[in-house]
Amino acid sequence: MDDLLADFIEETREMLEAIGSEIVAWEANPADRARLDAIFRFVHTVKGNCGFFDFPRLEKLSHAAEDALADVRTGRRQADSRLVTAVLAIIDRISDMITAIEAGRELAEGGDDALINALDAGAETAPMVGQEPVTAQSADATNSGATVPSAAPRSIRLPVELLDRVMSGVSDMVLARNDLAHRLQEAGNQPTVDGPFERLSGILTDVRDAITRMRMQRIETLYTAIPRLVRDLAADLGKQVMVDLEGGEVELDREMIEMMRDPLTHIIRNAIDHGIEPPAERLKAGKREIGMLSIAARQAGNKISIVISDDGRGLDEERIAAKAISTNTITEAQRAKMSHEDILDLIFAAGFSTAEEVSSVSGRGVGMDVVRDNLEKVGGEIQVSSRPGEGTLFYLQIPLTLSIIAGLTLKSGGQRFVVPQSYVEEIVRLRRDNCDIEDMGDTSLVTFREERVRMISLADVLGVKAEVPREKANLLMLRLATGDLFALAVDQVQSSSDIVVKPLPPAIMASGIYCGTTLLDDGQPILLLDVPNIAQENGLMSETRARSAQVPNESELQVERAADRAMLFSKLDGHKRLVRLELVKRIETISASAIDRSGRECRAVVDGEILPVIGIDESASLDTSVRLLRLTDGSSEVLHAVGSVEDAVDLADTLVPVDESDPLIESVTLIEGESIAMIDSHKLFAVHGAVPRQAASKTCRLPDSDWAKSILGPLVEAAGYAPAFDADADIVITLDASEAPSTGKPVIALRSAPDDQVEAGQRNSSIYRYDRERLISALRDASKGEAA
Amino acid sequence: MSELLVLADIAGKRCAFRASDVGSIIEAGVIAPVPRAPKHVVGITALRSQAMTVIDCRVAIAEDPSAHPCDNHLAVVEVEGHSYALQVDKIDDIATAHSEPAPVPGGAGEHWNRVCQAMAETDRGPVLLIDVAQVVAGAEEKPAKVA
Repeated sequence: MDDLLADFIEETREMLEAIGSEIVAWEANPADRARLDAIFRFVHTVKGNCGFFDFPRLEKLSHAAEDALADVRTGRRQADSRLVTAVLAIIDRISDMITAIEAGRELAEGGDDALINALDAGAETAPMVGQEPVTAQSADATNSGATVPSAAPRSIRLPVELLDRVMSGVSDMVLARNDLAHRLQEAGNQPTVDGPFERLSGILTDVRDAITRMRMQRIETLYTAIPRLVRDLAADLGKQVMVDLEGGEVELDREMIEMMRDPLTHIIRNAIDHGIEPPAERLKAGKREIGMLSIAARQAGNKISIVISDDGRGLDEERIAAKAISTNTITEAQRAKMSHEDILDLIFAAGFSTAEEVSSVSGRGVGMDVVRDNLEKVGGEIQVSSRPGEGTLFYLQIPLTLSIIAGLTLKSGGQRFVVPQSYVEEIVRLRRDNCDIEDMGDTSLVTFREERVRMISLADVLGVKAEVPREKANLLMLRLATGDLFALAVDQVQSSSDIVVKPLPPAIMASGIYCGTTLLDDGQPILLLDVPNIAQENGLMSETRARSAQVPNESELQVERAADRAMLFSKLDGHKRLVRLELVKRIETISASAIDRSGRECRAVVDGEILPVIGIDESASLDTSVRLLRLTDGSSEVLHAVGSVEDAVDLADTLVPVDESDPLIESVTLIEGESIAMIDSHKLFAVHGAVPRQAASKTCRLPDSDWAKSILGPLVEAAGYAPAFDADADIVITLDASEAPSTGKPVIALRSAPDDQVEAGQRNSSIYRYDRERLISALRDASKGEAA
Repeated sequence: MSELLVLADIAGKRCAFRASDVGSIIEAGVIAPVPRAPKHVVGITALRSQAMTVIDCRVAIAEDPSAHPCDNHLAVVEVEGHSYALQVDKIDDIATAHSEPAPVPGGAGEHWNRVCQAMAETDRGPVLLIDVAQVVAGAEEKPAKVA
């Protein structure tokens, strides 16, 4: 909330600065329409934001100014110098209040009403005299307010183009680096070059991460406001709405986030206002009384899809058609010929708004046409589908101009392609995983998780010849943002890596198969497949219709099914185990060297986060890479090393509680005639769970010497600390210090003399600087002390 | 008029690009084909870590590329923010235009007219001035021709 408030203050300040000159110009010429609009927009935005933050005084002021300006805009009132003065006084007051809010104090009460009254068109005569001093006084207050030193800015603003340029420069550097790496590799080992190159490479990776973060924001920032918005709206309207947000980790360009805010809010308001029925009506219609509103975001290549669906009464085709006819958007004759989809599409027509009245929530006449226009302006799309009585679904797609995404490289017809990892639900190897292909006419179906799923061959899509016979192909199970699942048969699945997506020229884009290109590490260009488009061209996307029909039951279904499904896997020692499916976040494969087995508990660093690992015996020898189930209870996480992941299974049989010697076993059940132990979820997280910690989130102060920097630093870093040389650190390491610094932080004392050259007392109180084992365990103990 | 021109042979004809259009001349590396792309798109290749689209000028002008061997040099041009590498029979020389561009008497022929607006005189004789944007867009206007 504090972040939001800071944003609000900053935004308002910025607007104040920007309209400063507008105000002056407007004062000079009150009839200037452009200036008036700019000022109107300002008070309108402030009003909207205040409602959200609960600043009733600010809201009242801005609302009054907005009303007065709206009257001028509609011509009901002339802008005269008195009105200008009154509006300016209000804007000054808003500025004072913002300063007060930022400083965390309340602006002196009173005076607001006088300012508002001054706006009144009828206040021209007698009261005017009384008002004058107040206005003047407030102007004084502003002047004195301006001299109060405002807090130093905590951030700077940069034009997005500049960030774009830096970003694209860095992306090119990454590609150039990859190219150079390839050439260096070809040229053989050259110690004089390899070292600096490694360093350059490392720096570049850091810079790239930082730059990417500069422009990207998690869509979560957009989500944070939604539950409150939904709650308030639902409460106002006497409805019960549950909101389900998915894909908050999807990262989106800052600008896009801002761009999405209004359309999303608008659609949500509509869904709650018009879509979801009051509880009684819902019960009568045989639905749960709580309405479901679900918002799911997904990154797909250089596009982000956002699906907003509700299980309300759906769009009323007749009402939309009638309205469109009454506004002369279409004629009766046209109406008769239009399909269901075409009619629904009318809600995006200009000037179409079924909202009967202007309320303080819905704003002034912003309709779906504006939403669509805004989306299209940035190259996005919006589609709607709806079934009467079953719900409405909006499908938004917005592009990313430039992005780094996780891609999966695959091969088909002798050529390599890459698909965005985000689509890939699972990779199925036909020859191994015992999947059958059935040909129904020209359509091929595979059975996946007891579901018949359509399959297409990438070679057919591309019009090339597959090098692997169909029975031996690899299938990528691809899940679209609409929820549709299909199988794409490819010759070979290679590796996954981060790719920098570059745009393609129009001639290639026109083929509808590719949405970008990138260079692989070996410097070869490779094409990024446009999965949604391929699906659509091949009739694999249900145009969101099928899914909207499922919407009402889906939430219940999920709850029921998830509760009694489990993931069957083999531990490293070969014993089979079950774990509840909803705990499984994903399956990770990491190199064995990333697992730290030196302590009592194993740990691994995955995606920059330190997580506990279970399922590895002390004696167990690991392959070079280890598969891990990443389990989560929502906040804590734990990794479970597995030998192999078998399948997701239904827990059809009863669970028989057992009292095993292994404390992590909850019960035993029968899976296909075999009795298999189920992991006790509660105990698992109680004993092993840990909230993921950013690797290197803690700092460790090192002695200021070259030895510390070059030899100790990397070791400390590997243990999960960021080396620091300033006073403020979580742990302090000293070398040959006569006494410990009194920082109150844990101190690890190192000495240069080996153990056999010092006395016993010193041997325990300090650590020989090359005693790696002790140093690491000391660091670990210190971090535990910190955590406790 | 002393505009610099890059002389190139396209489908056996003496042509020229404006030197200001051409970013560089490169040696063709590995070109990855693009299935289902328009025919004049040979594929994509990489130059100094930049991906670019390779266009066969001969195909864009509806000539038969197999009739004319190609010397593996590509002219790199930029059109609307995208980099393209143009494949021709051979890239020859740099020459100075002696005359203002003038229309070809009687036109250069149906397909040629689309990609070259004019001819210019050089030390090496008259050359057709190629409009790179038209070559790059070429097949888009006539999808039926190349499909």
